[in-house]
Amino acid sequence: MRIQTLLLLLCLALLQFQAYAADRPPPAPGMVSTVPGADLWREVRQRDGMIIDGISQVKGVDTGVLINAQGDKWARFRINNPVKHAPTVIIAVVLVLLLFYVIRGKVGIEGGLSGRMVLRFTDFERILHWTLAIVFLFLAITGLVLLVGRPLLIPLFGKSAFSMLASASKESHNLFGPIFLVSLLMMLYSFARRNIYEKGDLTWLLKGGGFIGKGHVSGGFFNMGEKSWYWLVILVGLVISISGLILVSPNFGQGRVIMGISHVVHVLGAIILMAVSIGHMYMGSIGTEGSSEAMKSGYVDINWVEAHHDRWAKECHQKDQVISAEEFARLQGTSLDRANVEATEQAK
Amino acid sequence: MIGYLIDGPLWYFSLAVFSIGVVWQLVAIIFASRKTDLSVARGSASRGAIRNVFSRFIPHREIAPQIRVQVVAGYMFHLGLFALLFFAAPHVIFLEENFFGFGWTAMPHWGFILAAQFAFLGLIILWLRRMLNSVSRLISTLDDHVAAILTFVVMLTGCLALLEGFHELRLLHRFTVELLLIYFPFSCLMHTFTFIPSRAFTGAWFGRRGIDS
Repeated sequence: MRIQTLLLLLCLALLQFQAYAADRPPPAPGMVSTVPGADLWREVRQRDGMIIDGISQVKGVDTGVLINAQGDKWARFRINNPVKHAPTVIIAVVLVLLLFYVIRGKVGIEGGLSGRMVLRFTDFERILHWTLAIVFLFLAITGLVLLVGRPLLIPLFGKSAFSMLASASKESHNLFGPIFLVSLLMMLYSFARRNIYEKGDLTWLLKGGGFIGKGHVSGGFFNMGEKSWYWLVILVGLVISISGLILVSPNFGQGRVIMGISHVVHVLGAIILMAVSIGHMYMGSIGTEGSSEAMKSGYVDINWVEAHHDRWAKECHQKDQVISAEEFARLQGTSLDRANVEATEQAK
Repeated sequence: MIGYLIDGPLWYFSLAVFSIGVVWQLVAIIFASRKTDLSVARGSASRGAIRNVFSRFIPHREIAPQIRVQVVAGYMFHLGLFALLFFAAPHVIFLEENFFGFGWTAMPHWGFILAAQFAFLGLIILWLRRMLNSVSRLISTLDDHVAAILTFVVMLTGCLALLEGFHELRLLHRFTVELLLIYFPFSCLMHTFTFIPSRAFTGAWFGRRGIDS
């Protein structure tokens, strides 16, 4: 009886195990992988570009992202585009301007310089212009060191010297960036009103500022080209400044993706501004007769005004703002002879 | 070798030139022969001196609009430079270890950056005004330009070495400081020490004559 009871209990126990085994799926077939954990790392790496936030005990921006695939894309874009093409763009602009100078020469003034002058820019306006120019040049040089220094300067100076130069450039670039923004806002405040587009500007554009065809192109205090340069500086300058502030302040909560986009925008904006500023420097110095005086003494020759800004010239005559060569020499504290010599040299 | 020279002999030499030069100049000014004023005093010389020292911090109302740019830029530069010189963390440590034996609270990093930006912008504007304003340009001497450029270079090399990661950049900054120290007593930079005595002297002269300066 005892034995029978024990056998019955044993059978019941075996039946239970059988029922449990029937609920489970059959075991998966064995898998052979040459790269252990490949699937896992493929997921972690977010190959499709999807950024998946994981769970981490460290709380903060991007702490749940193990590997950011966008960062890889950004690095490749940076190396293959701006780093590779920025020097080419800048050198190309310089070469085009040189070629233009050889073919066209200095844009002269019919009748030459008269010596009679008109005040174009006040001391404050010229201080603003040169402050912005100095800071921009400094930022351009240090920015180029950071952008293309690795492929261009390491072969010249070696790694340790470049490392020091890059560190110095980065610190000073970050320091001078906000000064550029302040100068830019002051420039916006001082010059914006005179740079609003008006009737007649489109004609200037259609005639290519006088370079296309013959005849005089009418212009006001600022012509269409100058206005467009001004707004380009302001708008692109603001974009560069804002993206620069995003880059220089990583503790404001922006993630790596925003930083990457900001960097691309910052670099592209800077290359555009550098390229166009070379054209501006050319036009303001050796490209056009009598232009540089505007940002040196603040005065321009009345013949220059009539050649490039005839509508403003009319105003100057109406308001009797034209001063004689003697008066200009007195205001500048130079002798008339010296002023005449300078004017003659400029005319040459 | 260059590092040893900059950190050692050149540093002590520049410090000696600076100290002896400044004391020499001040003593020469204090003991310069002056005629005894025999006139009857119409007011207090000392009151006039104190009044003038402080009143000159604010430009006179009548000329304020004409000199607004240099006043604002001047304050930006001088206050920024003062903050950098005495409250930048590396300078506080340097002054504690080499001169005073005690330190004080340094500016936070953002304060340093802000002070440097103020100082740079102020100095650039002041120098540009000197160059672009015809009157300022005519009365400026080579000394004025050298002093401005040297000060700018010292500030710039200091900012290049901001990361404190490269010995060479620190040496470069120190070398430019040494050049400035040597140049200082023989230049317009002496106004750092003379601006208060000269204001006091002028104020006393006016005060004694009862002139409201």
